[in-house]
Amino acid sequence: MTNSAKFKLERRLVLTIVLLPVAMVVIFVGDTVTDYAIAAAVFYTPVILVATRLLPAGTVVALAFACVALTLLSFALTHSGAYEVGIVNTGISIVAIGVTTYLSLKLVAAEAAAHESRERLLRMARITSLGELTASIAHEVNQPLAAIATSAGACRRWLAQEPPAIANAQRAADRIVEDANRASAVIARVRGLASGKAPHRERFDFNALVREVVALAGERGERSGITVRLSLQHDLPAILADRVQVGQVVGNLLLNAVEAIEAKTGGAKTLEIVSETEDRNRIRFSVIDSGVGFRQGELEHLFDAFWTTKKDGVGLGLTISRSIIEANGGRIWAETGRDGGAIARFSLPAGIGAIE
Amino acid sequence: MKPQPSTGKTADPTVYIIDDDRSVRAALEDLLASVSLRAKSFASVQDFLAFDLPGAPACLVLDVRMPGQSGMDFLEHMTEYGLYLPTVMITGHGDIAMGVKAMKDGAIEFLTKPFRDQDLLDAVHRGIEADRTRRLREAANADVARRWASLSSGEKDVARLVATGLLNKQIAADLGVSEITVKVRRGHLMRKMNTRTLADLIRLLDRIQPT
Repeated sequence: MTNSAKFKLERRLVLTIVLLPVAMVVIFVGDTVTDYAIAAAVFYTPVILVATRLLPAGTVVALAFACVALTLLSFALTHSGAYEVGIVNTGISIVAIGVTTYLSLKLVAAEAAAHESRERLLRMARITSLGELTASIAHEVNQPLAAIATSAGACRRWLAQEPPAIANAQRAADRIVEDANRASAVIARVRGLASGKAPHRERFDFNALVREVVALAGERGERSGITVRLSLQHDLPAILADRVQVGQVVGNLLLNAVEAIEAKTGGAKTLEIVSETEDRNRIRFSVIDSGVGFRQGELEHLFDAFWTTKKDGVGLGLTISRSIIEANGGRIWAETGRDGGAIARFSLPAGIGAIE
Repeated sequence: MKPQPSTGKTADPTVYIIDDDRSVRAALEDLLASVSLRAKSFASVQDFLAFDLPGAPACLVLDVRMPGQSGMDFLEHMTEYGLYLPTVMITGHGDIAMGVKAMKDGAIEFLTKPFRDQDLLDAVHRGIEADRTRRLREAANADVARRWASLSSGEKDVARLVATGLLNKQIAADLGVSEITVKVRRGHLMRKMNTRTLADLIRLLDRIQPT
């Protein structure tokens, strides 16, 4: 909510809270000075109606009792007119106040229930994107499986040749091993995601990890003609965290950056990767890209689950990244860069001492 | 008639692979190499379009889901690029609707990863055969069209009337020339079209549908 809207709402609330007692006093005075025949107390009902819109149920009930009390007090103070008419009118007023309070509170409750079910529907809609998530996992796993099956077929054919092409078969077998490892890494990642198990913390050289991930993601960046600049602080202290998980986050941030750069037409294509000490016992990692950057309002949703700007995205990458970094005692955030690109950063606690 | 030897039989067939996954590309290339098929792979549709295709029989193995232009989308618009490659679709997560769409758009096979290597090879061989046949037919049609174009307009007139089953005498009357002229033109055109029998001639004319 913007500040001005908040201010307007507050002013309205204050105004009402002041106006309600004033109205009640006016009605009370009117009820008291007029004779029994005039049921001025019925006018308490609009006061109740306004109150239910703005005040919590308990306060509204208290207010209703106050109105009833005032009605009775008016009745006691008024002496003009027919007494019986007075009793009947007061009775009608009290019933009107009571019924109004009951009905309007029920209405508010019904509206709240409707709102909640709408929210639930929205959540359900999001959960259906879990179907998309599984499709995406299936794709990730099927890719190496397809490569394995195909390589195995090739391997068998190389061996069946006369004479057998041993070297070729060996290469095919090597590829099978590699792809099997890749498939199991995907499974491990999904399982880690689903079980939410505690990170396995160890001390490790963060820069080495970054270099590994950059090497893995390098092909994609190269293909897109991106200039990658690594500035890794050489005496960076070792960090204490789950190496595999942190590697996933680094990879995720790099991939996002590459995609953001690919999405932009024209201009420089640079990706800057920085590691540095934040203070004595924290390190900070930044990915600075020259990509499309953030549109207004995007920054605040960035880490929301199922929120994405990518056409085929599921909207979980940064959500998972955040939960990983936080589980490892760190913090992750994003900023807009000087040239309009995006900066993604996280900081993590250092294990003491640099790795030699 | 004889097919042009340059378009088809002598050039080696090539299998083109478009898949964004490096392992899958490497495995497919190797599998095709193991059955002595030449393969060339690309990481994206864009890369493939930038490549200059030689005139050899070919087959395309196309992944459905890729960053940039998807395989599905490319298949649908392939003819707009002037490409008539028999295409084998492969996908990591396919459903029936996707398969139906691919086949409607002209794919010769739709395989879900991981697929049996034999299934892929069978499909690829079928694709190459289909492409070879298409190329031969196109070359032959071009040859017939060239022969037809070499006829004089008088010979073309005679050819059309011969094809309708008229006798020389009737043709002569129709065209207002002597029967001898019709016989001479008929001899010329049969030689130029490289046919001996009337049935052959009719078959050739059918192919190019001369107007």
